Amino acid sequence: MKLYLRLAWRNTWRHRRRTLIIVLAMGFGLSLMMMYDGLVDGFNQAIYGNAIKVLGGNIQVHAKGYGGSAGQKPLLALDNDGGILQTVLTQPGVVAASRRINTGGLASSREGAFAVGITAIEPELEQEVNLAGQNVIDGRGLTSDDGDSVLIGKGLAEAMGVGVGDRITLTGRSAHEQMRQRTMTVIGIYDLGMPDIEKLTVYISLNEAQTLYDLSGASTEVAIFLDEVGREREVIAALTPLLPGYEIQSFTDSYPELQYALASKGQAMDIFSVIILGIAGIGILNLLLMAVYERTREIGVLGALGLKPRQISLLFILEGTFIGVVGVGLGIVLGLAFNGMIRAVGLDFTAMSGMTSYTALITDKVYPSWGVGRLLSRAVTVAIIAALAAVLPAREAAQRDPAEALHYV
Amino acid sequence: MIQLLKLAFRNLGRNRRRSFFSALAMGMALALLLLMASVIRGEMGDAIDLSIRLQSGHLQVRSATYDEAKTSLQWEDLVENPDQVAAQVASLDPVTVATPRLYASGFVTTRNESAPVRAVGIDPPSEANAPYRDGIREGEFLSPDDREGVLIGWSLAQRLDLSTGDTVSLSVNTSNGEVEEQAFTVRGIYSTGTSGFDGLTVLLPLAKAQAFTGAEDHASSIFVLLKDPAQTDAVIAAIQSPGFEVLTWRDMNELLIQTEQLSSGYMVFFYLIVLGIAATVIVNTQIMSVYERTREIGILSAIGMRGRNVMAIFLTESGMLATGGVLLGLLIGGIVIAYFTRYGLPLAVENFGITGMLLRERIYTQLTVQDTVQLTLMSFLVTVLAGLYPAVLASRMEPVAALRAEK
Repeated sequence: MKLYLRLAWRNTWRHRRRTLIIVLAMGFGLSLMMMYDGLVDGFNQAIYGNAIKVLGGNIQVHAKGYGGSAGQKPLLALDNDGGILQTVLTQPGVVAASRRINTGGLASSREGAFAVGITAIEPELEQEVNLAGQNVIDGRGLTSDDGDSVLIGKGLAEAMGVGVGDRITLTGRSAHEQMRQRTMTVIGIYDLGMPDIEKLTVYISLNEAQTLYDLSGASTEVAIFLDEVGREREVIAALTPLLPGYEIQSFTDSYPELQYALASKGQAMDIFSVIILGIAGIGILNLLLMAVYERTREIGVLGALGLKPRQISLLFILEGTFIGVVGVGLGIVLGLAFNGMIRAVGLDFTAMSGMTSYTALITDKVYPSWGVGRLLSRAVTVAIIAALAAVLPAREAAQRDPAEALHYV
Repeated sequence: MIQLLKLAFRNLGRNRRRSFFSALAMGMALALLLLMASVIRGEMGDAIDLSIRLQSGHLQVRSATYDEAKTSLQWEDLVENPDQVAAQVASLDPVTVATPRLYASGFVTTRNESAPVRAVGIDPPSEANAPYRDGIREGEFLSPDDREGVLIGWSLAQRLDLSTGDTVSLSVNTSNGEVEEQAFTVRGIYSTGTSGFDGLTVLLPLAKAQAFTGAEDHASSIFVLLKDPAQTDAVIAAIQSPGFEVLTWRDMNELLIQTEQLSSGYMVFFYLIVLGIAATVIVNTQIMSVYERTREIGILSAIGMRGRNVMAIFLTESGMLATGGVLLGLLIGGIVIAYFTRYGLPLAVENFGITGMLLRERIYTQLTVQDTVQLTLMSFLVTVLAGLYPAVLASRMEPVAALRAEK
């Protein structure tokens, strides 16, 4: 086997320029995929990093039947929310946890009206982790005794034309199907740098919400804050047996359409990348076909020396695979260089933030990762396509009759 | 010239299989580019088209002080006597239909779920409502004098588990800055194929909407569709009057149009990489064929052919490869795209969010003449350029050395 490898390797480099050109093509194909992977990672990070801030918490615990997606917020009281809080806080990795009430409603002033999510919090418990509370730019943050007070985002304040001290009307539904309308004073304005997202959430204190929505003493959500992103699965797995009968979700579940978008675009990209590599594969095919003709005599000699057709075709398939493998090497270098360059400058997508609910979460430039997460499967694809491209020339070589081939000049 | 073409053609025919594969590589590249371009065009074009039909129209006439983002219902921000204004606009020649619409923001609630919506008062008989009327999935369309009925979108119905005949309560902002609530019966459920839009939009008859919100004889805007979208200027000139503001579909969909330009911009980069990869195949094949024919080139130059002419032979060859590749590409690409134009690609994304881009559940590819011509030319040029290096190589050969070459 070692001999075949050596022979094939030497054959690969007999025409250096030819081989290098195809290696370049393969390398470009692979680096293109690495760039794509890097960009997807970059988007994920840019969006999820902010999704946690906005949703408040890496993990949310709801009552059964709450039903998850960010669009609906039923007023379903959590049984024993205090007990959940205790259980959650004992878990490793949990930095903070707090009770909340989430509901939808309408914030209106004389200027106009906006559909908003109303989030009721226990300000003291969330002090360390609530970004809205930490980024108050005008007025002050909430305290749990605040009645008739609301903390709104800068984006909403600008759109409604209100400032600290002004009064806005919050309308929502109580748990008993009563419409609840309350005029509240804006006590503070927070700024997360995402105007479109800031329009979507206003904060009030939990006490206030409990009276307003007929949920005395109860809450609808326990929000859990972890020490780092990425531990959600682990903590959810630990919590599931401890909290039977509750819905436990991480922030990724709250943006299913983002997952879906990335997955479906990823599939299309996988198909495209196979086609692109197929094009480069034709290069290998042509090169090897040519080599088979050039080496007719040589193949005859090998045949005369007793090499079986199978062994001769192995030589050519190895040669094709080598080209692929060297292409992988070059591709990795190119891919790292490209991604490194883009990482240095960053890509500006903020102009697109109004497009969809998840692009609104992009606040800063997008910085791609190095794109090495799927490198193994990508590299294997390249090698397989290279090997497949060698099949036809290899068969051709194997079918040569040694006697005839030897006579070939 | 004909001689040259014949020569080049025969040379390509000498190794038919190799020539075919080279052309195939180019053809696959072109087909891929056409597919990508048509997907993007389909996605963005569809988004703009949907936005025009469902949201913006070709033109909207509004009060100069109206701010769409605020959905204000104060009388001074609204169009007074909307029926009369609409009738005037509709009488203009390029206008297909003009209809008053009233927008309010609010939310619908069922037992204990609520969802934010935009309540839209429409004039039911108007032609402009075709997307909703034709999209009725159950129940029936609104009648103008219905005082208790609403139409809701399919995705909202799914989310809140509603069907025809159910009662929902709708709360909206009103002209005096307060919020009104009232119970309505779901008359029907429509689907525009755009779950983002359907999940947010509740339709009710204009007269009821005006009474409900206290807007009385006012509307938020006059929604105008034109026979030809390019004719906006003529209509604007005709309806320009103080206190009114006329917005075109380009103003209202600026973000979409920008995004489309942005994405076609960075796609060019991607196209070039793909073509570059295909070009390497051509370069390689041609280099091999130059070396195979070293002796031949020697003979040609020995009998007096100039380097220029030798180059021309090889360039003609790559030109022919390019032609073959382009034809193959158009054929493959055409078939694949025709399929997806008909059946669609399940690629689009459900999105919610009050502003933003409307997408269908499937992308129907759209191949424009402009894209086809551009990409075809691009592939052709890249192939010919790829042939330049081997051609130069051939033309630089020293006749004597080339004659002595082994083969």
